[in-house]
Amino acid sequence: MSVITQTSPAAAKEAAPEKQWRRPSYWPFVVPALVVVLAIIIFPWLFTIWMSLHEWKVGVPTTFVGLSNYLRLTGDPRFIEAVGHTLVYTALSVLLPLMLGTLAAVVFHQKFAGRGFLRGIFIMPMMATPVAIGLVWTMMFHPQLGVLNYLLSLVGIPAQLWVFHPATVIPSLVLVETWQWTPLVMLIVLGGLAAIPTEPYESAQIDGASFWQVFRFITLPLIMPFLFIAGMIRMIDAVKSFDIIFAITQGGPGSASETINLYLYSVAFAYYDIGYGSAIAVIFFLLIVALAAVMLYVRQRMLWTEMGGGA
Amino acid sequence: MVNHKISRRTLLTGTAAAGALSLTGLPARADISWKKYSGTKLEVILAKGPRGDNLQKYIKEFTDLSGIQVESEQIPEQQQRQKVVIELTSGRPSFDVIHLSYHVQKRQFEKAGWLADMTPYLKDPTLTPPDLVESDFSAAGLQYAKNDKGQMLSLPWSVDYFILYYNKELLQRKSIEVPKTLEEMATAAEKLTDPKEGIYGFVGRGLRNANMAMWTNFYLNYGGEFLDAKGNILSDGPEAIEATKLYQRLLTKSAPPGVAGFNWMESMASFTQGRAAMWIDADGWAPPLEDPAASRVVGKVGYTRVPAGPKGQFSSTYGDGIGIAAASKNKEAAYLLCQWVASKGQGARLLQAGGGVPFRNSIVDDPEVAKGVKTKEWLQSVIDSAKISKLGLPVIIPVAEYRDTVGAALTATLSGADPATELKKAHEQFRPILERSEKT
Amino acid sequence: MNLRSILGRIGLWFAILVIVSPAILFFLWMLSLSLKFEIDNAAYPPVFFPEHIAWKNYADVLASNRFLTYFLNSLVVTGSATALALMVGIPAGYGIARMAAHKSAIVILIARITPGLSYLIPLFLLFQWLGLLGTLVPQIIIHLVVTVPIVIWIMIGYFETTPLELEEAALIDGATRWQVFRHVALPIAKPGIAVAFILAVIFSWNNFVFGIVLAGRETRTLPVAVYNMISFDQLSWGPLAAAALIVTLPVLLLTVFAQRQIVAGLTAGAVKGG
Repeated sequence: MSVITQTSPAAAKEAAPEKQWRRPSYWPFVVPALVVVLAIIIFPWLFTIWMSLHEWKVGVPTTFVGLSNYLRLTGDPRFIEAVGHTLVYTALSVLLPLMLGTLAAVVFHQKFAGRGFLRGIFIMPMMATPVAIGLVWTMMFHPQLGVLNYLLSLVGIPAQLWVFHPATVIPSLVLVETWQWTPLVMLIVLGGLAAIPTEPYESAQIDGASFWQVFRFITLPLIMPFLFIAGMIRMIDAVKSFDIIFAITQGGPGSASETINLYLYSVAFAYYDIGYGSAIAVIFFLLIVALAAVMLYVRQRMLWTEMGGGA
Repeated sequence: MVNHKISRRTLLTGTAAAGALSLTGLPARADISWKKYSGTKLEVILAKGPRGDNLQKYIKEFTDLSGIQVESEQIPEQQQRQKVVIELTSGRPSFDVIHLSYHVQKRQFEKAGWLADMTPYLKDPTLTPPDLVESDFSAAGLQYAKNDKGQMLSLPWSVDYFILYYNKELLQRKSIEVPKTLEEMATAAEKLTDPKEGIYGFVGRGLRNANMAMWTNFYLNYGGEFLDAKGNILSDGPEAIEATKLYQRLLTKSAPPGVAGFNWMESMASFTQGRAAMWIDADGWAPPLEDPAASRVVGKVGYTRVPAGPKGQFSSTYGDGIGIAAASKNKEAAYLLCQWVASKGQGARLLQAGGGVPFRNSIVDDPEVAKGVKTKEWLQSVIDSAKISKLGLPVIIPVAEYRDTVGAALTATLSGADPATELKKAHEQFRPILERSEKT
Repeated sequence: MNLRSILGRIGLWFAILVIVSPAILFFLWMLSLSLKFEIDNAAYPPVFFPEHIAWKNYADVLASNRFLTYFLNSLVVTGSATALALMVGIPAGYGIARMAAHKSAIVILIARITPGLSYLIPLFLLFQWLGLLGTLVPQIIIHLVVTVPIVIWIMIGYFETTPLELEEAALIDGATRWQVFRHVALPIAKPGIAVAFILAVIFSWNNFVFGIVLAGRETRTLPVAVYNMISFDQLSWGPLAAAALIVTLPVLLLTVFAQRQIVAGLTAGAVKGG
């Protein structure tokens, strides 16, 4: 159980007050990174917030307009639609890679011939440049000439419209996203699996536990911190996903796959409506913070339950 | 290759027009002082495409002539437009000469005052050859290049007319005549469509934003106008609804599946594979269609004007220009380059490569230049289209928003939405945007 | 071998096949696209093995001017951004893990959360004001936005699972915290560093949005340059696929090398017991 305890040093500290001296003394380790991050983040953020309070358009003198850019958002049907698309896209693009990535990690945790090589192949999708990958997928999605419909026809499934129909465009994009980012989840979970002590497995083997039981009651709890990190990274990346959607659909057909980030891009760089775009960026940021907070909250709850269960 | 020989000859004419013209001597005017700005270094930002290629391929001749060093780069259209605007907004652009898309950027650039006024340079015989006069540019070109005060802010470079491409073999197989009207075209397209064979009667842009370029051609031929005298947008009126119905009919009944996501690239793929019988798009695609390495329809392609609508026959027109950044410190040298780019020699090369149509009548109407054009039928379609040319988009600042918003409505009709409702919704969304940007 | 273990083996290999085939098939198809002339690339049914191989697709990409410059730019940007990120990120991850200072982690998380697009305009103006445009510095700095948070997050995860006992013992023996970090914590965290390194490199290498605005003709990175090359003005799927493969190749090669390190680090079971 000590492994779980250590994953939450806060809890460990409460249990052992004599370790209190750790707390202030590790700041020097963190300060350089903090300085770097603050230096690159603070300026753009102040500037973005400032711009979001202005009417800032090309060829027009910049004027202070207060919160009117934010008010405009509430009545912008395109923005509201984009929020919906983003949430659906993100939910699918977190859950599918998490599930498949865990499965893949369990498989790659086994010993078999050519494991290193196959693992290398498996993580290739996340190595490749998203824009180029996206364009190759576009060709594969082509309803008439695409290789995907050809493969479907081989097994008797009728041709699909993939990214060319409003109803299937988001699932199709999620397919690409999942294909690309399942390896990231796999890598992180694999790190977790390697960190697991062998003793519980040995005793489980003696007790004759099934593969599924071992996974559910030993492996899964132990890799939870890793799944959480993977899920958090995945969520942030999926919400902000840009390259793939931009390269494949540019938010289309119509605006069926226009997420907040794509709309933000259009407003800021195609319409040059910098003030409004900045307001979208701020709201977008707050949305991601909200999602992250929900995930952190859920994790804390789970940890707390586990600790309680362990006591 | 025959073509090769001719293009060598035109290369000579090109040099003559660009440089040696001063030697032929028109005594009334002074010669261009090419070398006056020798040693200057110019930066040029180009949108990727045949026009940029045309400049880069021959730029050494300009440098030999003038001693001006030219550094240029081509960036994909979308990024180029963004980069140009970001840098111009910052007040210190890294380039002197700008390749701009009139149909998207004209109003924006004028309003922001980013371009240097070329009017005095045009009148200066030491900078401008005698054959480069305003009246040589087509009306559309001048409309694009001049601001409200009549100043020339750029030189019109290359014009895009929308034309009808058709597959002669497929039409003959079903004994169908080349359509003369949009109605005939829609009927013919339905006859030609045979999904079992994977053959479709028509293909064209269904993709949001890009689709506007084709749709406006229908709109114009149904009698539509974009703006009223007060600058209000009109493209949700009865003409627009009729045009959208045609658009919907063509792309749902006789176009390949997935057309809602097609830009010209996907449309061209269908057409070059011989899977689409007719295609309406910009005039620059003859080279890939006639390239055996890229096309299965070489020699089978017909080129003609966009069929007439009930209220007329127009060819939607778009265009590129070349201008000087107002913040540039080398305006005269930059102008020398601009006028070289728009010169007869360079224009002839552009036309002969099939990469674009110069705005200058003296180039398009020159039989010598025409001899060097490989696909005569294409040239004829372009010349015919020039006579019925009409600007394909409203000249307003928020063109990108307009294309996106109304374009999305058009795409929505492809999944069954009602044209009138969608257009109304889109225009309700767009009108405040237009008001906000045109005020002040 | 009993029946159950044989069935288990078959099941395992079936699972491996299912898991790996999407990647294999995709890249084989991409390779096929990159070696075909346009006429084969747009054919239906698809042509898998072309009669004529279009080596020219690759030649075209490699012959495009400044290819070497762009490649070096990419190396410098990704290399510097990753090295700097590891320098500040590994100690930071360690410190945060040991202090349980999740609040400071959230500050770092903000960098990761901020939409990349919103950095572009402010930083462009800043770098212009500083006169740094035209050098690689702006890109290196903005890539830190990508690499630093990744490194820190991965390292927190790793250090949280490393045993405290060894470190405590070392501290009791009179070692300083830096010595403990350097000689006890760091060696144990090697697998984590490898993962962090790889992820930082990928994200930095593949990034193209920043480069489009910040990079000029001389300072363009390879993905941006290739993206420019693969613009939409022709149906050029062959060169596109060739370019994509060329861009990807350095990262893939790197993975092959680092892969051994990761596998070794993972199988050594550095974090046993505790």
